[in-house]
Amino acid sequence: MTTDTAPAERIALPGGEMLAWSDLRADVPAGGGPLAALAARIVPVGARVLLAGPHDPALLDRLAHAEVTCLLRSHLDGVALADLAGDRPVRVVVGGPHGLPADEAYDVVIAGSGLDAVESVEGARLGWGGVLDRLVTALRPGGSLLLRLDNPVGLHRMVAASPWYADRDDAAWAVGGVLDAGRPVNPDQLRARLADSGLRPGACFAAYPDPGAATALLATDQLDRRTTAGLFDAVLHGACAGAPAGRPLLQDPARLAVDALHAGLGTALAPGWVLLAHRPTDPGPLPPELPVALVQTGPPEIGVVEVVAGADGWRWRPPAPAARAEPAAPFASREAAYRDPDALTGPVADGRLLRSLLLDACLRRDLDALRRLLTGYADWLAGHAGDGRLTGAVALAGVDNVVVAGDDFAVLDPSWRAAEPLALEVALARSLWRFAAGLLTGGYAHPWSSTLDVVGLTVVLGGVAGRELDRPTVAAAIEAEAAVTAAMRGLDARERLDLVGELRAVEPTDPAVGPDSYQQLREAWLRQREELSRLRALLRWTEDLLTSRERALRRSDATINLLSGSVSYRVGRLAIFPARLARRLARGAKRRIRTALRRRPVRQEQQ
Amino acid sequence: MHHANHFYGHAHVLARYCGLGDGHPPRINGYVQHGWNIGDGLAPGHPYVQGTPSLLWSEQTRRRAWSVGRRNLVVTGAPFVYLLTMQPQAAEQEREGTIWYPFHGWEGQHVRGDHKELIAEIRDTEPGPVTVCLYWHEYGMRRVRRLYERAGFRVICHGYRGHWWRQTDPLFLDKQLAELRRHRRVASNRLTSAVFYGIAAGCEAAVYGNPMVLADEDPTFGGTARIRRQWPELHGARTDQRTATEIARAELGTDHRCTPAALRELLGWANLQEDRVDD
Repeated sequence: MTTDTAPAERIALPGGEMLAWSDLRADVPAGGGPLAALAARIVPVGARVLLAGPHDPALLDRLAHAEVTCLLRSHLDGVALADLAGDRPVRVVVGGPHGLPADEAYDVVIAGSGLDAVESVEGARLGWGGVLDRLVTALRPGGSLLLRLDNPVGLHRMVAASPWYADRDDAAWAVGGVLDAGRPVNPDQLRARLADSGLRPGACFAAYPDPGAATALLATDQLDRRTTAGLFDAVLHGACAGAPAGRPLLQDPARLAVDALHAGLGTALAPGWVLLAHRPTDPGPLPPELPVALVQTGPPEIGVVEVVAGADGWRWRPPAPAARAEPAAPFASREAAYRDPDALTGPVADGRLLRSLLLDACLRRDLDALRRLLTGYADWLAGHAGDGRLTGAVALAGVDNVVVAGDDFAVLDPSWRAAEPLALEVALARSLWRFAAGLLTGGYAHPWSSTLDVVGLTVVLGGVAGRELDRPTVAAAIEAEAAVTAAMRGLDARERLDLVGELRAVEPTDPAVGPDSYQQLREAWLRQREELSRLRALLRWTEDLLTSRERALRRSDATINLLSGSVSYRVGRLAIFPARLARRLARGAKRRIRTALRRRPVRQEQQ
Repeated sequence: MHHANHFYGHAHVLARYCGLGDGHPPRINGYVQHGWNIGDGLAPGHPYVQGTPSLLWSEQTRRRAWSVGRRNLVVTGAPFVYLLTMQPQAAEQEREGTIWYPFHGWEGQHVRGDHKELIAEIRDTEPGPVTVCLYWHEYGMRRVRRLYERAGFRVICHGYRGHWWRQTDPLFLDKQLAELRRHRRVASNRLTSAVFYGIAAGCEAAVYGNPMVLADEDPTFGGTARIRRQWPELHGARTDQRTATEIARAELGTDHRCTPAALRELLGWANLQEDRVDD
């Protein structure tokens, strides 16, 4: 093996580099996301670390306390990384796994892009098992391996519009799948394979929604056991609901992820897994205490939020101050909502997510359960109101951020807070409108009629909660929703106005907001077709009724004409003329007296 | 609006509850179940427009209607339960005797049965004075009315339910509620809306006597035999009032009563386009 030196002195080129290739992705979470946060947790100070395969350059910031070697196949990425590294002790090796110096060993090896991305198109292929063996060899006794494995039957493949086996991307020069006997395809097989290589498998995390751009890492042992945990429900839904609008999908990944959780399949259907393994020594170092969940949501400056298990349950662990920028004070930004990461302390509220309970009750048409849940929710909001207004996190606590345990309600993530107090009715209407819009556009079965629009259903839900909401209140709630969403997404004034228009225009026959899911588009089309059929039938019936009423009117007209032309009618009319005149005069007099009486109190007040 | 929505002044009661006053009620965007029944909540033989919502009394009726192919179903509770909230019971009201509803068909049906036998059974069973409430059709039949009057019963009629939007008595249910609250017991020879109304109004319930078969009774949903099988607790000269109250609560959908704002949305009255027209 010969080693050449690139212009950038820290880049080693042992051969096998790909010159016209880049592994850098634009859709990865800022700051390296939960994977970077997890890596930072397992790398001790001063450790020698090998980043095998492409990683987000931001990971280097999280590993500033370590001595890092990056093994990359892309020359372009290697040069970019060397520039970014600056003065830090970072070495870059550009080539395939053969290029890894044979005499070097590391305290931690991280393969956060899986093992396929370590191999280059150049040179002989080692295969998945060969790459693993090479990395294990590079691991010191007592060292740790953090490895990502993609799920060949993961949720991301189930919702994809194109089948994985027809992949035509540039990276698909070889397509791996479940048929490859040399590659584990689930966490159990991976653990067995690592054990065969002399490693002791440790913690495992399910990666959602995309194995290459995970925004949530959830401990698999907890994920499979705590299937009703509101935290997992909210995190999985949030992570999987963020697919970009217009992207074609077969079905809604968020719905599928939540169903998988409740069915105990959160790990089995995860798009990928991140597993930690150790090369044992005697005595071995104590494994680090790792979080139950690492989640990146909201604006990038907030960093990754962690949840850790304690003796008294799960607790929030806010991002380290160094890992986040200082959020703008609400008075400075004049936005309706802001995120306060310091609120993420203390226990995580335990219970089931209110949205899931409500959806379940809607599907089962359990009106009693809906009444109990919504009344409890409205009462809970009212209990936090001061002078009819809500402040802080409760003001924004929608059904997707409230957990229910028995009769107790609590905010799940208290970090989003209202900048200004919100009227209780408006806060409730906002929450119910969001639920109604999701219920109708998501195509869920529910116990109400198709003739209700989103605002109408919001009013009905308010009634189920025992509250008299009216349409003007719901209109104010839509404005508030636009303001809060604008703050969460960082929209400017123009975009916010556009959003208000979009929210007002949401119809039950629209597909759900987000990616173009085939199932949801088809359901929206079916709803439109049913509505059209209903209106056509109604129009036919109205036409028939009009015809029948017109016929009845003609008959009445004919009878009136016949009677008014008769002698007896004319004589009778003449006879009662004085009486009719007297009645007319009496009515006029009565009207004048009433008018006078109505005016009198006004005059008295004026005096 | 379907003309059946006007029967018994149902639309008028709902309009009053929704704060629309005593005038002519606006059109309802759906079919309001106009009587307790053991089918899909809608009267057989009526022309229904496909896809139009059905506003049903109970959750059980909704499930049954769905199972026989009806869709767009909403449980709103019976109009009578809305009337009950508008006219709360006076605490000091005295109750006496029994209000007895001989089973009726509507004017297109003919009841087969012996009124004399029924009268004898009522005399033997009822402990106090009896008020017999006849359907307007039978009330108008002098022969039938006389039979009950000669037996010493007070004979009344709550009014005309109306037909094709005409002659509906908007206070039909009000009169019925007032009468029910004057009596200790409500009884009939069939389990009908009136018995459930009576239970909801605080009466003890009894169902006994010849059920008087209709000449052309529709056997689709099982008829009187099925009613006796499914609700045996409400049959007999004496029934348990607590059990009866629970059943009536479910069958009338008391817990599913909507708030006025919600009901306005469900009936299509939230954005009224038509001018109010008084009768």
